[in-house]
Amino acid sequence: MKVKKQILLINGSPRAPHSHSKQFASLFRKFCRVPSDYACITSTNHAALCQRMENYSDVVLVFPLYVDSLPVRLLEFLKSVEAYRLSHRPVVSVVINCGFFEPKQNDVAVDMIRLFCAQNGFSFGSALKIGSGEAVLATPFRFLLALQIYRLVSGICRNHYATLSFTMPIPLATFIKASFGYWELLGKRNGISREQMETMKIEDDTPVNPRT
Amino acid sequence: MPMKLLISDKPICMPEGLAALTVIDLSALTIAPCMGCFRCWIQTPGKCVIRDDAVQVYPLFAQCDSLVLISRICYGGYDTPMKTLLERTLPIQQAFLRVVDGETHHIQRNVAPKDVLIIGYGCITESEKNVFRRLAERNAKNLNFLRHRLIFTSEENLMQVMKNEVCL
Repeated sequence: MKVKKQILLINGSPRAPHSHSKQFASLFRKFCRVPSDYACITSTNHAALCQRMENYSDVVLVFPLYVDSLPVRLLEFLKSVEAYRLSHRPVVSVVINCGFFEPKQNDVAVDMIRLFCAQNGFSFGSALKIGSGEAVLATPFRFLLALQIYRLVSGICRNHYATLSFTMPIPLATFIKASFGYWELLGKRNGISREQMETMKIEDDTPVNPRT
Repeated sequence: MPMKLLISDKPICMPEGLAALTVIDLSALTIAPCMGCFRCWIQTPGKCVIRDDAVQVYPLFAQCDSLVLISRICYGGYDTPMKTLLERTLPIQQAFLRVVDGETHHIQRNVAPKDVLIIGYGCITESEKNVFRRLAERNAKNLNFLRHRLIFTSEENLMQVMKNEVCL
């Protein structure tokens, strides 16, 4: 089965409607010169999404890093794709973001997608590994990320697949300082001080094991 | 006080005489996936707003200094039940970052450094083992593993491995 070049972006974030992944997907579609569509994974639409995938030459999975790997929502979807017998398997690419500074912290998750592809007869396409992804869209460096997304889109549209990375071009110490400010502000919006956010308590337990 | 914790994604028969070991069978618990709301960092620090069985487990995960994880392997990572639990351990960390071995990682709350044994089971290819080894190394930095060891086995041999490794 031959399908024309068109791309389906699938958001694998648990908070898809309010996610950074949604904004990355939006930037992707802004630069995309071939037809593209966007969908979110829900707990009830796996079969419908699998069916849709058959109509696309490329699928781009857009998702955040969760505990060093794939979010459960995406993992569950991949298992559904494995069980579904697709008559056409699109090329699978990845846009992954983590809040850490280093894009390489996404490497394992990307390799899990590569494994999924190898085990299920999909070709792996491109990967964009984004570090500092939690806050970058609200900084002046947004345009640099947009540039990388543009490069990713251009490559996928021309079947020139590649692996790209992005992080903010600032020193590590500056990033950490800025991230404190970013989270502190979010806490403040909820009436929570930095001291409260820094509590060592987990649930209401008095610490049982004081070794930290 | 030292605490030894075993978390498994399937029921396991533990022999008598292991009273010091706390065993958690995830298949008997109701644990919803993390919503990614970050409220355990910015609204109710140290507490998840989803009040299901996970709120009983992640404090133990933090407290233990010896941990055994038993999980089926899927695409070179933990299968859904264990991964769901690990995502729900987010309250044991702060939003704020620190540098560990030259990389950014979250500051831990009261999380004991721990010796960890991970037993991965299922039909596991060499490629999957390699990815999982790297995943465990990343987990070690993000979840405060002092040392960790991996064992891969088939589902059929899991109980034997358990006997050899955990019940000694």
